[in-house]
Amino acid sequence: MGLTPEPNKDEEVVGDLSFDPKGMLDADDGAVLTRLAQLVDAVDPVPSDLVERSLFAITLAGLEADLMEAAYLDAPLAGVRGAAAAARADDTAPAEAKTITFTHDSLTVMISLSPSTGGRVRIDGWAAPAAGLDVELHRPGADVVTVASDEDGRFSFDSVERGRASLVVRRTDGGGGAVSTPVIEL
Amino acid sequence: MTGSREALPDVDGPGLTLGDRAAIALTEYREGNHQALGELVREATPLLWHTVRAQGVDHDAAEDVVQSTWVALVRHADSIAEPKAVLKWLLVTAKRAAWEAVRKHRDDEKRRTELPDDSPEHPMALPAKDPLPDDEVLREERDRILWMSLQKLPGRCQELLRLVSLADRPDYRYISAAIGMPMGSIGSTRGRCLAKLRTILDEQGDFSWA
Repeated sequence: MGLTPEPNKDEEVVGDLSFDPKGMLDADDGAVLTRLAQLVDAVDPVPSDLVERSLFAITLAGLEADLMEAAYLDAPLAGVRGAAAAARADDTAPAEAKTITFTHDSLTVMISLSPSTGGRVRIDGWAAPAAGLDVELHRPGADVVTVASDEDGRFSFDSVERGRASLVVRRTDGGGGAVSTPVIEL
Repeated sequence: MTGSREALPDVDGPGLTLGDRAAIALTEYREGNHQALGELVREATPLLWHTVRAQGVDHDAAEDVVQSTWVALVRHADSIAEPKAVLKWLLVTAKRAAWEAVRKHRDDEKRRTELPDDSPEHPMALPAKDPLPDDEVLREERDRILWMSLQKLPGRCQELLRLVSLADRPDYRYISAAIGMPMGSIGSTRGRCLAKLRTILDEQGDFSWA
């Protein structure tokens, strides 16, 4: 009796359903993995525009701007705007402002996205420390739009078409390198 | 092996794996042809996404990690010593960035919870590592059983099986390197994980998987 293999020992299980790295999977192994791949994708699908955003980010990589890190701060707003947060589920409610903070070394840029007319988006931004900054808005297939920050570090784009976009921030005096936000979906 | 790969245009010869195509894409990118890289981004983004998500990175941050991984690739295109290992490079880069994102997130949470007016009854939730599938996704009983059986495996086995299910078999060595499993043991480790899963599945009843 003492020699009876423990059924849950790895080696014993493998003995029965061994996978030889150089061998072939049996048909059920392959089918289970294929099904699993479909479930993995269905349970946590890749965001639909992630590929397009990545492709646009690659085209901006030539700008030699350091990537800023983003923190998405829509969670604190959700408590204040319960109804809007609830409406978010249907994805058709652009009424809620979204705030994103980007950081790189000592520079912090916060932007707030809110609806503009005609389904477009207004971007209000604030950079700290408040040096003179040029802020470029890059969008796929569109000309770059540049605005300057005011003395308090504020800047805005009044009416921007929805879609993928990235901001590139440069100091007006040419000091320091350029930094860019990740490509975001407006 | 997966549905998504079947949908790809048949530009690759038979026997070329994702890892091979990644190497070709990098080589062509260095030579000024960017098209293959675009195709690689389309094909490999799901694997990067799930690699990053497996580290517990929340949804928004994971999108940025994947994006920055691709940016890092083109920035380092000329300095990657071994184009053949570019898939491994991508996975390792994504995983490290994911750890960094998780670490930052935890630091931020800690700072936040140290604020005196923060309510202890509402601690900020950590990102869900295993999002609960809703009934829509797991319509078939077979899928529910598969998913629940997967949850019974040790965490590393779960991660391994999820990722290898998305890859071509000869690329497993890159995945093993990326998730920190000893090289050379990936086949047998995977075999053990898969065998455990099969055992659990068999206990649930007689289902036809093929």
